[in-house]
Order: sequence, then C-alpha cells, then structure tokens
Amino acid sequence: MTLTLRSKKFMTNRLLRRKQRVIDVHHPGKATVPKSEIWEKLAEMYKIADVIFVFGFRAHFGGGQTTGFGMIYDSLDYAKKNKPKHRLARHSLYEKKKTSRKQRKEEYKNRMTQFRRTAKASVGPGKKK
Amino acid sequence: MAAPGNLAVLESDLQSAVTLLKNLQDQVMAVTAQVQALTKKVQARAYPTEKGLSLLEVKDQLLLMYLMDLTHLILDKASGGSLQGHAAVLRLVEIRTVLEKLRPLDQKLKYQIDKLVKTAVTGSLSENDPLRFKPHPSNMMSKLSSEDEEEDEAEGQSEASGKKSVKGTVKKYVPPRLVPVHYDETEAEREKKRLERARKRALSSSVIRELKEQYSDAPEEIRDARHPHVTRQSQEDQHRINYEESMMVRLSVSKREKGRRKRASVMNSQLHSLTHFSDISALTGGTPHLDEDQNPIKKRKKIPKKSRKKTGFRRRR
Repeated sequence: MTLTLRSKKFMTNRLLRRKQRVIDVHHPGKATVPKSEIWEKLAEMYKIADVIFVFGFRAHFGGGQTTGFGMIYDSLDYAKKNKPKHRLARHSLYEKKKTSRKQRKEEYKNRMTQFRRTAKASVGPGKKK
Repeated sequence: MAAPGNLAVLESDLQSAVTLLKNLQDQVMAVTAQVQALTKKVQARAYPTEKGLSLLEVKDQLLLMYLMDLTHLILDKASGGSLQGHAAVLRLVEIRTVLEKLRPLDQKLKYQIDKLVKTAVTGSLSENDPLRFKPHPSNMMSKLSSEDEEEDEAEGQSEASGKKSVKGTVKKYVPPRLVPVHYDETEAEREKKRLERARKRALSSSVIRELKEQYSDAPEEIRDARHPHVTRQSQEDQHRINYEESMMVRLSVSKREKGRRKRASVMNSQLHSLTHFSDISALTGGTPHLDEDQNPIKKRKKIPKKSRKKTGFRRRR
C-alpha cells in the first residue's frame, strides 16, 4: 500500500476562496488509483471532508505516477457558488434535472403551436399555462 | 648622563644626520635654480594658456597653490614651530580634495587631450586617422520631414537655456513616413526560400556534423545539455503540461494531436532512428524525403469556393 501523495504549485486563491494545488501520486506497481481513494486520503490528512474536491487525474506513460488537481474551499457555501455543477454532483451536493433535451424541445414546440406569428416569441422555456 | 651605549648610537646617528643635511642643501639649491628659471620663462610669456583647456589651467593653479602651502608648512616646521591647527593644513586638505575629484574628469577628457597634443605635435592629422571620426547625431536625423527638424531645434534651444520646456500644446502624433514596398513574391522566390531553409537544416543535421568533426582540428566537445532526442513533439508536450498545471484545467486533445503523439512515440520506441538519417538532399541535389516529426509536404490545391449549404459538419481536409 505504497501510496504517496505530493503537492506541487500550491497557491491560495483569494478570489475564489480556496487553496489549490497540483497533486502528484506515486503508486509503483499498482494500477491508477481511483479518485475516491485519493479523496479519502486527503480528507484524513486535512480532517475536513466535504470541501475537498479532486479532479483531472492523468497517469504518466509507463505507470506508477499520476498527476491531478486538488482544491480545498474555505467553506461549503463558497464551494457551492464557485464550483461547476458536475463536480458538485459527484459529491452529491447537486441534483440536475432528469428531463431529456428531446422531451423539453417537444414540450416547447407544442406550446408554440397555440400562438400565431409574433406571439410565438413570447413563449418561454418555463412551464407556462 | 647617558649610558656609554647610547652615546655610541648617538654618534653614528650624528654622522648620517650630517650627510643627510648636506644632501638636502644640495637638492634645495638645485630646485631653487630650476624654479627661478621657470619663473623667468613664465614671466617672459613663453607658455600662453589663454586658448588652452580650462580644466588643465585649473589644475595648474591648484597644484601651484598646493606647493606654496606645502613650502609654507615646511618653513614653519624647520624653524621649530608646530603644525597644530595651522591654517595652511586646512587649505592643503581642501586643495587635495578638489584635485581628487578632478581625477575622473581627467580620465574622461583623456581622449580629447591626446588628440589635441597629437595635433599640436604633428601639425595636422592624416586622412585615415581613427581619432578624427566623431559621432554626428545630425546625420541620424531624417532629412524628410521639416516638422521634426523644427522640434529638435526648439528642444535644443530650451535645453541650452537650462530649463525643461513643458509642451504647452499637445502636438498630434504623426507616424513616420515609411516608403511602402510592393509585395511581389513569385513562385520561384518561394521555391528559392524553401530550398534555402532546407539547406540550412541539412547543414546542421547529424551526418554533416559528424563529417565536420571528423575533418576539423578542433577538440571534441562533449556537452551534457538537454535530452539529445528532443523533438518538437516533446517540447509541445512540455508546454502543454506547464499550461495545464498552472491553469488547473485539463485541455482536450484533438485527433490530429493524438495522431502526432502516437507517431512520435512509435518512432522513439522503435530502432528507427538508428538507420534513418535526416534529409540532406538540399546539399546533394536528390529528391527530398521527410523527417519524422515534420508534416508531409502538401501540394497547394486550388480550393473552389462553394456556397456552403450545410454548415454543420465541416469536412476536414
């Protein structure tokens, strides 16, 4: 279980209220370490679990080393504001709509048929009528 | 009352003291004679210095004053007085400081003084004398626009008067009038340029370099520098990695990029580079074959301009 984590290019990003770093993972002899494992390791290193986000892990040629990015936010509110939604969804902090695009377009078209000429432009994407 | 040992020391000292005083007297007489001769010459106007360099004049005067003060001090000391708080000492210190400060100025004027001395000695300088070439900033000014000349004159005058002229009215920026050159690169010229570039590349290829090393007398240099097989692809990769790490994003890799990378890695992993050398046909005049990481030479096709009906899917050429 020789997993070594090293952080490079550490920066405190005051604008986005987080600390960001490049994480170098050494795992000689093993396959690429999954993201969740690295997340757990960071969580036990820094004691706070829910404001840590890791992403973008790429393995180097020949195996044994992986590089990725890690961010630790100041608080959960800032994390929710600043993070892109799919990353939040990975940590189940965000649920996206389950309706498919085709369905939505169909509904919109049907609503538009009820109007004539320029009134069609007034039909919004939301649920009207 | 002194002990007999001390008396012997005193006697020997006395002897050397007497000889020294005699020497001193002789030298003083010689110096006086010289100074008197010099004074007579100066009074007879043998050295006119009105038209000379004022710096040298100042130095002359200062040195004379220094000597006068020094002799005054020696006189006082020789007649038994003390030098404590003597007014001449302060004067001497002052003159010495000024002379030291003048020394760098002297250094800077050395060239001019040498030139003048040479002119005085030889009468006139020869045509090819390098001392004659003085920079002419007026030659660098363009003779085209008269506005620039006027501005320069005005600036010169204001600088001479010693105050910085604040530009009252802001003058409109006039871009420099450059003569436009007609672009006329024909196919033949393009071919020539390409050939020239290929020649340069061939000259720095490994084959020619090894030939050069074989026949030159210079010692063989072993440089432990960058990776010997650094290719364009590896440099691009490095650049990409740096960007990704500093911006904290992952860039997407297009299909072409993937193809290039694969080609580069395949080349490096095979023993291809052992037997395939870079192209020196530009020097030998054969048909060109390609290096690994370069793009294949495409002939320029005339792409007909069609009206695009389907803008969705663009065909990749």
